[in-house]
Parts: sequence; structure tokens; C-alpha cells
Amino acid sequence: MVAPNHGVRRARRFDFLPYALVTPLTLFIVALALLPAGVTVVQSFFRVDELNPPTVFNGLENFRNLFADGAVRSSLVNTGLYVLIGVVLSTILGIIMAVTLQQRFRGRSVLIAVLILPWALPGVVEGIVWTGIWDSNTGLLNSVLSSFHLISDYQVFLGHNRLLTVFAIELVQVWQMTPLSTLLILASLQNIPNDLYEAAHLDGCTPRAALWRITLPLARPGIAIAMVQAVIATLNVFDQPYVLNGSADTGASLTMQTYFISFQNLDFGEGYALSLLITVATLIISLGVVKLVYRQVEY
Amino acid sequence: MLVSAIAAGCGGGGKSKGGSDETTGVTITVALATDPPPQASMDAFTKSTGITVKWTNNDWDSLQTKISAAATAKTYFADATDVDWSRVGQLGKLNWFYPMENYLDTKALTSEMPQLPSFTSGGHVVGIPYDASFLVTTVNKKLFAAAGITKMPTTIDEYTADLRQIKSKGVVKYPLNIPFAAAEGLSTYWYQTTAAFGGTILDGSGKPQFATAGTPGFKAAQWMIDAIKQGLVPPGNINVADSQGQQTLMAKGSVASTFADYSGNVGSLYSVPASSTVVDQVVYLSTPGVSGPGINVSNPDGIGIPRQAKYPAAAAKFIDWFTSAQNQADFAGANGPDKVMPGYFLPSRLAGVTELTQKGKLIGGQQLGDLLKNSAKPVFPEGAPSWYPEFSKAVYTNLHAAATGSMSVDDAIKAIASTADKLSS
Repeated sequence: MVAPNHGVRRARRFDFLPYALVTPLTLFIVALALLPAGVTVVQSFFRVDELNPPTVFNGLENFRNLFADGAVRSSLVNTGLYVLIGVVLSTILGIIMAVTLQQRFRGRSVLIAVLILPWALPGVVEGIVWTGIWDSNTGLLNSVLSSFHLISDYQVFLGHNRLLTVFAIELVQVWQMTPLSTLLILASLQNIPNDLYEAAHLDGCTPRAALWRITLPLARPGIAIAMVQAVIATLNVFDQPYVLNGSADTGASLTMQTYFISFQNLDFGEGYALSLLITVATLIISLGVVKLVYRQVEY
Repeated sequence: MLVSAIAAGCGGGGKSKGGSDETTGVTITVALATDPPPQASMDAFTKSTGITVKWTNNDWDSLQTKISAAATAKTYFADATDVDWSRVGQLGKLNWFYPMENYLDTKALTSEMPQLPSFTSGGHVVGIPYDASFLVTTVNKKLFAAAGITKMPTTIDEYTADLRQIKSKGVVKYPLNIPFAAAEGLSTYWYQTTAAFGGTILDGSGKPQFATAGTPGFKAAQWMIDAIKQGLVPPGNINVADSQGQQTLMAKGSVASTFADYSGNVGSLYSVPASSTVVDQVVYLSTPGVSGPGINVSNPDGIGIPRQAKYPAAAAKFIDWFTSAQNQADFAGANGPDKVMPGYFLPSRLAGVTELTQKGKLIGGQQLGDLLKNSAKPVFPEGAPSWYPEFSKAVYTNLHAAATGSMSVDDAIKAIASTADKLSS
């Protein structure tokens, strides 16, 4: 009789379930993200011009053409301004609103629900809504300023001055992005144990000092995520400038140029190259933000 | 991201398998930037042909993107879809659509559809016009009369003088609507103004005909920019697109005239109390030219069959039905509201316009019919060039910049001409 060998482990059966569960998502990501991204990288070094076939390798020519294109250079400046204004404003407003919403008060839940509305609206709809505000002939802002006798003639807000145009357009996007930033930061704030505030209060810490020394440092993960989403959104801004300012150089963004180059001129090679540049810029700026702002937090 | 998705499509997209010739018991997809005809009409078509139609309504910009994306990736998108006049050259050169002469007697249609030549590229008819859009001058006769103008202008000079009179008499602060937003509507406005000054934009080989100061195109641009600088056009119009200006300025009586307006707007917009405060005040005016009425440039919408269509023969049957004189008259309201297709006002067939006019269902119908028959001409007599979208962008961005004062008319025209030279060479 052979005694059972309790000391030897039985070989573990391979568990297919986890792989089966992640396979659909993996295929989805590969087919709709990684494969297109890979093709974009490769094709950006080819001339892929529907009106000028065939497709041939042309090295860095697409990139040279892009940087020689005045409209692209102008859009690069605009997009830089969109990112700067959008990320700074949405983060500051997000922090202020999150800190406010962290307090318990009557109607807080309703306010949070209302706050989400701009985020839920499509960019085109927001552009149309804000056209009614910025419009220089019939807009609400001119009407209000005029009724308070602050202006004698209706003012033109969009189209004349690049900085004013970009700022006015970006305000619309900030209006859209800030709810998400607020919720992300609020989620971080709600993880902060109340004990810390109580201890700080006992030690004589003022609310303002608590904000600077407890709230903001411990909210850095949420703030970093909010800033990264703002970077991605602003670098890819399209609907708001297109609806509010048409294709004018004073407000056109890089993604608008991608659209014009690819789908109007049918020069997909340059379109791929510009897409690649936007993607690389998004990665670099996002990593920079994470490096600068994100800190591991332990309570 | 969209470009990336197309890249995937290009990389892995299947070749066109060639459509089926079946015309009964099939379902076709029709994608246009408009609502469908009434369900009863569609049901009647299905009953008589055995073809079921699945209608997809996309906004114009999205539709153009979808057409390009599907054709580039060589994937099925629709059996019949939009062929805009401005993309005829591009679509023709790329061979993205079936030649319509393979399916319909397009030669016979030409006498009945004056704008059909706008849809010809390389000797092939890329699409069939289903409406008869062209640009025409509209004036608010009440505002003109308030300024003491009793005789309507027939020349550009008279027209300009009348606008100045309206302004100087304080009838309205800004009498003229020009949509200076950097969008397609500004380009077409300039084409119409150039035509009124007696010129064309490009010659048969695509070379610019407006590069020097004495040319009609240059004069037209100068006239438009002078109009905003001299206070004939509202300063805020630098961000007003064509339809926006028609709806918020012309239809509200804020301006007295639109030099290049949509044909059909008097009946469909200015005479509709829900959208207009100037009902019965706005009329069409034969577009003032250099020494008398000028021509009117066409910008009609057409419908064609993409190469990747599953059922091209069935799609052709649908197009034949959709653009028939009787249906066009029905869709435009000649025979009661039950048969009206929303947003459809002006048939591409003369017979359709005539029926509407005879039944009194088209405001200004007699005049529109005459204009359509006698003075509506293509923007590009040789057909829109394949690089038209890039050219048009140069037109509207530079004219917009000139209107904002950030560049001179001379520089704007030079930039536009340089683009045309580069693209046509």
C-alpha cells in the first residue's frame, strides 16, 4: 500500500477564465487603438495622398510640410494657448468648487447633479449655446453690457484679436471640463481622513492653513488626474473653435488642421503625421504634469 | 483619432466587391443631409419597386467625412448619398462614384435640369441634382422704400448707392448682410459677387482669373471688404456664417439686403412668421451686375452612387424616382402638406418649378424659374477642380482676415491666387 504523498503539491490547473474575461477588451483595444496607432506611426512617413497616388515612402517630408504650413504653425500657437488657459483655469476652478462641495450643506447633491450638466453636453451644442452669448450682433453679453451702459456700440469678441478669441473660446471648454475636474478632485478630498483636520484644529491650525497644508497636498493625485484630462481635452479641442470662430487663423486648433488636411485635402500622410505629433505632445505634457503634480499619498 | 481609425481601415479594408444588380426585394441605405420624404411616399416607392429604403440623415460636414472615410477605406457606407457641387471634381477624379450615365439617360435630363452640367467631371455625371439651389439677391422692399428708394437697382453701382442711402437716412444702421465668418458661405458669396462683376474665378485649367486689380474677382473682394469697412455691413459679421446671417439679420429686419442669398429663402424663411419679422417684405431681385442683371451661380445638392454600394442598380432606381418631376413638385408642396419633404423647396427640374409656380405654391416662383432657366450658371463652367476644398479654405480664411483688417485685400487676393496656382500646377 502506498501512502499518499502529502508533501508534493499537485500541479495547478491552468485557469483560462481570467484570460477569457480580458480577451474581448484586449481585442477591442488592439483593433481600435493599438493597430490604428501603429498604422498612423508608419504611414506618417509615407505620402498617402488620395489625389496624388501612389503611396510611397517619403521620410520626414510630411513633417517638413507641416512645419512649413503657416496655418499649422498658427494653430500650434493657438493650441498652446488653449492648453495653458484651459488647464490652469479648469484646475483652479475645479479645486475651488471641490473644496466648496466638500462641505456639507443643503442642496449639495442637487448642485453636484447640476454641475455635471455642461460636461454631459456635446461640444457642438456648447458652441452653439455660447454663440448666443458671444455673438457680436445679437449676443447676450453685448446686450447686458449695453443695458448697463458699459458700452456704446456692440463689441466684436471673436475674430479680431487672437488672444481674446482664444480666451473666449477656451472659456467655453473650461465650462465643459471643470465639472469633471471638480469631481476628480472631490473624490480625492473625500479620501482624506477627518482625523487629520481635527488634529490640525487642536494644534491651532486655521482653515486656510489646513487648506494649504492638508487638503491640497493630499489632493495631489486627484489634481494630477484632473490636469491630465484637461491637457488631453485642450490639445484635442475642435468643436468649440470650429463652431464659434469657423476656420479662421485666430482660433483654429491643431485637430482642426488634422481634419482639413485629412478629410478636405485628402492628404492622409500629412494628417497621420500631424496626429502623431499631437499624440506625442499629449504624452509628453501629460507625463510632465504627472511628474510635477502627482505624489503618492498614504493616510 | 479619426485619422487613426481611417488608417486602420486603409490597412485592413477590403476591396470593393462590386455591387449587386438586384433591384427587387433589397434594402438600400440612402444617406443625405436632410430629412426623408414622407413615409407614405417611401412606402409607395417600396410597393412599386420592391426596394426598401433605409434613410440616414447626417449633418453635411459629418456626411462629407463619412463619404471620404468610407471611400478611402473601400468599405460600404451607403447605396446613395450626397454629391455636393463643390466636390464633383474631387469625387470624379477619385472615381469614388458610379457614372450616372450608366443608369439614367443623363443627356435627356440636361434640358430639364439646367444645373446637371455642374455635376459632370471628366465627361461623367457623378450625381444628379435633386434641388436647384443658386444664389440670388434679396431685398427688404419696406426698408428700401423707407429710404425713399422706389426703383430697384439693376447695377452694382446703383445697388451700392441705395445701400448708402438707407444707411445715411438712418433706416437701419447696417443695410447689407455679408457672412464674413471663415466658412464656405463666404467663398460662395465672393463667387456670386465676382459673377455679378462679370467675371469667373478660375479658367478651364484651374488658373486664377482674379489676381490683378482690374479683374472682376479682385473688384468683388474689394467691394465686399469696403462694405464692412465703410459700415454697410455689421462689424460683428466677421463671425456670422451665411445661414446665421439670413436667420438673425435678414429675417429680423436688421439689414435691408443680402447680395448672395439662397434661392428659396423668401418662401421658406422670410415669409414664415415663426422665423421672420419681415413677412411679405422681402423679395428676390435680379442680381445687380456691371451694366444690368448679372448671372446667378449655382450651388445645388446632388445624389449619387458610391462605388462600394451594395445595390447600385436599386440605388439608381431610387434616384430616378427621387428626382422625378412629379415627386419633386410633391416634396416641395405643390400637392398638399402630406407630401412635403421637410426642408425641400426648389426642385431641380424645371417642370417641378413650373408646377409649383402655376399652383401658387412657390413665393417668387415665376422669377426663380426664369433665373434658374436663364441665368443660373455653374461657379466653375469646367466643373469644380479636384482640389476645390483646399482652394475654398484659402478663399474664406484670407477674405475673413481681410475683413478683420489683419491683411489687405491685395494680400488676401495674392494668397488666394497663389494657392490656386500651386494647386493647379
